[in-house]
Amino acid sequence: MKKRMLGVLLCVSLTAAMLAGCGSKKTEPETEAPAAGEEASSESDMEYVKGKGTLVVGITDFEPMDYKDADGSWIGFDADMAKAFAESLGVEAEFVEIDWDNKVMELDGKTIDCVWNGMTLTPEVTSAMECSKAYCNNAQVVIVPADQADQYQDKESLGDLSFAVEAGSAGEAEVQALGADFTPVKAQSDALLEVKSGTSDAAVIDSLMAAAMVGEGTGYADLTYTVQLNSEEYGVGFRKGSDLAAALNDFFAASYEDGTMVQCAETYGVQAALIEQ
Amino acid sequence: MEQILEQMPVVIPALNAGFLQTLKLFVVTMLGAVPLGLVIAFGSMSRFRPLSYLTKIVVWIVRGTPLMIQLLIIFYFPGLVWGHQLWGGGESGRFLASAVAFIFNYACYLSEIYRGGIRSVPVGQEEAGLVLGMTRSQIFFKVTLLQMIKRIVPPMSNEIITLVKDTSLARIIALQEIIWAGQAFLKGSQGISGQIWPLFFTAVYYLIFSGILTVLLGRLEEKLDYFR
Repeated sequence: MKKRMLGVLLCVSLTAAMLAGCGSKKTEPETEAPAAGEEASSESDMEYVKGKGTLVVGITDFEPMDYKDADGSWIGFDADMAKAFAESLGVEAEFVEIDWDNKVMELDGKTIDCVWNGMTLTPEVTSAMECSKAYCNNAQVVIVPADQADQYQDKESLGDLSFAVEAGSAGEAEVQALGADFTPVKAQSDALLEVKSGTSDAAVIDSLMAAAMVGEGTGYADLTYTVQLNSEEYGVGFRKGSDLAAALNDFFAASYEDGTMVQCAETYGVQAALIEQ
Repeated sequence: MEQILEQMPVVIPALNAGFLQTLKLFVVTMLGAVPLGLVIAFGSMSRFRPLSYLTKIVVWIVRGTPLMIQLLIIFYFPGLVWGHQLWGGGESGRFLASAVAFIFNYACYLSEIYRGGIRSVPVGQEEAGLVLGMTRSQIFFKVTLLQMIKRIVPPMSNEIITLVKDTSLARIIALQEIIWAGQAFLKGSQGISGQIWPLFFTAVYYLIFSGILTVLLGRLEEKLDYFR
């Protein structure tokens, strides 16, 4: 009898747990939707961030924008600007490495507060996030082995190469426009690896990244970049509807004015790409 | 080769830090899943039908979906659906979410191993116990349990070694375990970029660790041999 009671109890609690799981999914949007709406109007994203005291910045290890110094702390043009912006809000910047594919999910799920990592402002990005004004120029450039570079100095010469490009990147769109044969890979660095190991003839990556990672004195000393395929701009992404984007625009304008932004860009060698705010 | 030796002082500590996360996830999962698995096994073996059906449905869902999807759902769903995230920021939140996903997933697999182990003990022993006036729980703890443990060691070893390698799945929610640490040098980290060897080198860590576990579990099996 006792056994059976235990069984019933366990069963009830399990069902309750399951129902709670499903139930809250179903009922909460109805009952909580207005509440959430009120919350959005009464508590803005800025207040949310100030309330918890940290601005969680989603990044990937991406020289020269966000990368680790010898002590393991995050530096780079984006990292330093993010720290300064957080300071201006009176909160602390916390850097979290994310999987780039999941960036919108990370933002909407509130596991991060912004994506600040040399992000190209594509229509996909601007439709899914509240973006700041562009702060850096970038371009897609072609990477080839250095000893073949002289054969590939214009767009016309690229047609019969096989390319490696990051899936979903601006580079992929450019290669598609060229009509060349290409393989989509998971990251820009994988595309470089393809060229280095000879499994693809060429890659298309960001010029800022190329400047930092390819050529003399880098891990890819035997690669170089040649043709520039397009030009594009970097921005910072916040949750859709966030008031932090506007705050960041003001912050950018102020720090461009007083020269700190330029100074920071010079530290990391990206001053030529900086956009006037 | 020379280049690798030069990079070792930077790469090895980074891989060690990653492997520490891997180990932590492994230990926490074992500590949680081994007892939870037994509870689930009792649930699915219960003679109270609704409970056993319910448990079996849960086990079916957990075993029937990829662990990678479970990780994504557990980590991102609370924030996406309820609007406030459950796990806390930073690395520790990612670890917590991974641990919950792994514990639940492995508990479900282990429960089936336990069930098999319990069922493998001849019914006659239970009947004998009942004749002697023992209660069911006395029969389980004094007669069945140790025999079950002995019998499930080989299939458990299998699951445990699979777990060592499965921890790498947590990189999907950016838990910085050893594979993540190795991949970082492909892309560029701490001044080293375009290096493939750190990623491949992580295999050595897994091999050594699963080697140690194989030896330990083999010893355990020998120790329990007197039950024959």
